[in-house]
Amino acid sequence: MAGDGTNLGPNPDLQTEGWRPDADPEMLELQADAASARQTEELHADAAAEREQRRQRRYLVRALLRSPTFMTGMVIVLFWVFMALFSAYVTQSPTNVDAAASLKAPSVAHLFGTDELGRDVLARTMAGARTVLIIAPLATILALLWGGIIGLVAGFYRGYTDEVIMRLIDVLLALPIVITSILVLSLLGTGLTIIIITIGALFTPVVSRTVRAAVIGEREREYVMAARLRGERSAFVMAREILPNITQPIIVEGTIRLGYAVFTAATLSFLGFGLGPPSPDWGLTIANERIYLQVAPWTVLFPALALASLVVGVNLITDGLGRVFSK
Amino acid sequence: MSAVERPANAPEAAPAALDVRDLEVTFHRRGRDLPVLKGVTLRIEQGEAYGLVGESGCGKTTLAMAALRYLAANGTVDAGQVLVGGQDVSKLSEDAVRKWRGEQIAMVYQDPATALSPAMRIGDQVAEVFRYHEGMNKAEALERARESLRRVALPDPDSTLRRYPFELSGGQQQRVVIAMALAVNPHLLVLDEPTTGLDATVEAEILDLIEELRGRINAAILLITHNLGLVRRLCERVGVLYAGRVVEEGPARDIFTDPRHPYTMGLMRCVPRFGMNKTDAALQTIPGTLPALGEPLEGCVYSARCPMVKPVCVRREPDLFAWPGSSGAEGRAAAEAAPADPAAYSPHHANPVGEGPRHARCYFSAEVADMPHATPVLASSLEERGADAGDVLEIGNMSRTFKDGRKRLTAVNEVSLSLRRGETFGLVGESGSGKTTLAKCVTGLIAPDTGTVTFEGKQLKATAGRRSQDALRAIQMVFQNPDSTLNPAWSTRAILTRAVRKLGSGGSVRAKVDKLSADVRVEPRFLMQRPTDLSGGQKQRIAIARAFAGDPTLVVCDEPASALDVSVQASILNLLVELQTKEQVSYVFISHDLAVVRYISDRIGVMYLAELIEVGSAEEVFNPPHHPYTEALLSSIPTLNFDEKRTRIALRGTMPSLSDPPTGCRFHTRCHRILGDICVNQEPPVQEAVSGHTYQCHIPPDELLRLQTAAPAEQPVTSSEA
Repeated sequence: MAGDGTNLGPNPDLQTEGWRPDADPEMLELQADAASARQTEELHADAAAEREQRRQRRYLVRALLRSPTFMTGMVIVLFWVFMALFSAYVTQSPTNVDAAASLKAPSVAHLFGTDELGRDVLARTMAGARTVLIIAPLATILALLWGGIIGLVAGFYRGYTDEVIMRLIDVLLALPIVITSILVLSLLGTGLTIIIITIGALFTPVVSRTVRAAVIGEREREYVMAARLRGERSAFVMAREILPNITQPIIVEGTIRLGYAVFTAATLSFLGFGLGPPSPDWGLTIANERIYLQVAPWTVLFPALALASLVVGVNLITDGLGRVFSK
Repeated sequence: MSAVERPANAPEAAPAALDVRDLEVTFHRRGRDLPVLKGVTLRIEQGEAYGLVGESGCGKTTLAMAALRYLAANGTVDAGQVLVGGQDVSKLSEDAVRKWRGEQIAMVYQDPATALSPAMRIGDQVAEVFRYHEGMNKAEALERARESLRRVALPDPDSTLRRYPFELSGGQQQRVVIAMALAVNPHLLVLDEPTTGLDATVEAEILDLIEELRGRINAAILLITHNLGLVRRLCERVGVLYAGRVVEEGPARDIFTDPRHPYTMGLMRCVPRFGMNKTDAALQTIPGTLPALGEPLEGCVYSARCPMVKPVCVRREPDLFAWPGSSGAEGRAAAEAAPADPAAYSPHHANPVGEGPRHARCYFSAEVADMPHATPVLASSLEERGADAGDVLEIGNMSRTFKDGRKRLTAVNEVSLSLRRGETFGLVGESGSGKTTLAKCVTGLIAPDTGTVTFEGKQLKATAGRRSQDALRAIQMVFQNPDSTLNPAWSTRAILTRAVRKLGSGGSVRAKVDKLSADVRVEPRFLMQRPTDLSGGQKQRIAIARAFAGDPTLVVCDEPASALDVSVQASILNLLVELQTKEQVSYVFISHDLAVVRYISDRIGVMYLAELIEVGSAEEVFNPPHHPYTEALLSSIPTLNFDEKRTRIALRGTMPSLSDPPTGCRFHTRCHRILGDICVNQEPPVQEAVSGHTYQCHIPPDELLRLQTAAPAEQPVTSSEA
């Protein structure tokens, strides 16, 4: 320090008494004010921190509400959820047969026309959302659960475990989803539970890949090393340390899978692996009515449009979420 | 021509290279308006080098981006003007602006790896500049590219042209970026932290290059950096930015030898001066933190942290007063006479008041030299820290090799060292020398291939997963990156609570967490928050508290303060020293900053290419006789001292690959004191300079001492890369 030409003021070793701000009475007063202000601020600090967190969350919600993509998707999906639950109160009965009015074109009495048994197509289209909206979300949740666990384990342990798991996943990914489902359902019989489990299982590999990639990004971070130096069990590190930090990619992956699940569920019921008649299910209806396509296209058109709108709606939600999260 | 010599009211002869007038820039983030620059005025004459310093978040980069018209989409210029070479930047059309960048103004970014396209060959990238700006055909442009690579002293320009960026070292990449920036002779070159990610030796080379180029080009330079040493080496004038305001500006020499704003003074006192050790004096710190963007400020922007603050400072913001001069005292009298209603004043006072070569935004510039120091907290001596009790840690013959495809990279090669209780062992060396791998082998995050960690006489298991809770408690680690060291999904209290539960030795967990947070000076209110709401310094304090949860015997600190601003760095270093004095803990302290290592360490080890080539007390290692590599490293540190004349020893070439280390002495390919064949063919012996100070070199201590204390003129200085 000595002999260095820089004038940095008195040497602290020689002189610690310098000019003090508290020498000035007015400054003392100001400082007292500031101190009491700080104390009150500290008293409210917890509240302030919470407010800030709420503000961040509110911001996310507001960004979603402002996203036209997300909102359009949400309106469409909520419309179908509402119809699945309450269509009985809004429309005519979807199963009420009226032989006299079979295959009538759309009119004031039947806005979407009637089918070969004289059932109201509007009522059937609205009620048809129900099965798809039971199967698709549950199958997606199953896929997220299984895929999440597999992805966490593969991404966290890496090495040999990862190699083995991922090669198995590659094999599963090579299976064509619809054909495999048909095979499984032919063997085990149909039924809501089996359909849900089958779709869930077939979507698991894709989900596990996404989760694995996210885990690999997190596991090299220093807080994970700190957890290892603390002697945490692997299960704890995966579930409590890593998982909370990869929820966003998992949510986005979930909505993507949901769209595909809607599609797959409808395809299976179209192929006869869903509920039987007289269920108004879209896939089933399209399959049954397609012989009337020439004479009464409305019997197929409206359920098909409904199905398409639901898939588009879910995909719009995915898009909106992805964009807001990536900001 | 420098602004100092510019006569007052000179006729507008040549327009300034950069003329920023009353610039106000606001960012809009998540629905809030955050003013970043609040009336900044500065002027860089043609051919002048201007340094802009300040902590991160002060608005330095924003100013550069505004000058380049590169502001992010959520930033707006609310007021003021930016003129580059007399041209108002905001008046350029979108097409013109693209031409104008490159020809009038060019920028060198902090990270050369991201400034170059990874998919294009160097030749094509550099040639593109000529093809776009000068409309050359491919062959001509390539020829010019070759020339410009030669100008930045890149070895073998022909082969470099054919390479991809990833085939070059960081220093070489930065040379290419500089070559591209200078390609079409811009009038203003903006350097944004051009050497921050680089090793000290490479940094020194880049600085040499910039200095040398300044003699040949006539571009003005705007250097943005937090490193005062760089500014001192390159710049004639300095501006100090704080919270979006210029608080002091003037000729570099004047400001560095005699700062006249408390913030400048504070910044300079934070940096450990060369050769300073913790047992000599505590580092000065700046209390508090930079005000958050958008936080309302009353009076002087610095008043909340200023140790000299007086009522008038809070009452009305000072202008940029000329120093020396009477305008400061006049301004103060006016401010004191004015009614104490902050709303009654204009929101900014950007224009310098009075003529004169230097200005400071302070009423009390005259008293800054006597600014009070914090009471010095000295570290206790090694003996008081319990070092007599003997070694706590012994590393025996540790090696670790990684596989990279078919290559085998030996990151740590047969390293042995020991550590006493309460001792700090500093580990220095360029990046890639194996410091972090060694640290991770000690903590058990990486299993070494061979070698042992013996702790208090007991040999530890190789990996953390196999060590007992007691062994884990005893050896903890503080990591480099404050942003990833804490789990962002947990509250701070949850993080500390978990650490105490797992590592603590019984007793009330809550009481221990409160004690820890008090020890690291984190106010209780921050415990409720998540890491994302904390500042970098606070995060690192929590990380230190977490490491101390189980009263450890050894804490491995891997660059714990490198990612922080100097004022925060100083407070973290003081905290570590204080904890060591209190708890008698030992540290292994890794840093590339030699002054910091010198300050905090009792003993120092120098690593080069996976080997520990020199070990000794901090004082011995930093003074001759020492290993030629250490000598070169020390000579590359930029200093703040204007009177010191140091000869820089430039290392030849770049660090050899770990997969194929040189024969004989590992350092012989770059050594400036190479003896001849003996260095190439024979492994050097371990020489003992004094008891406890050993180095690996063929030159015996007496001879080395004679060589290294000889007059600098005799020192062989090799220029640049071979």
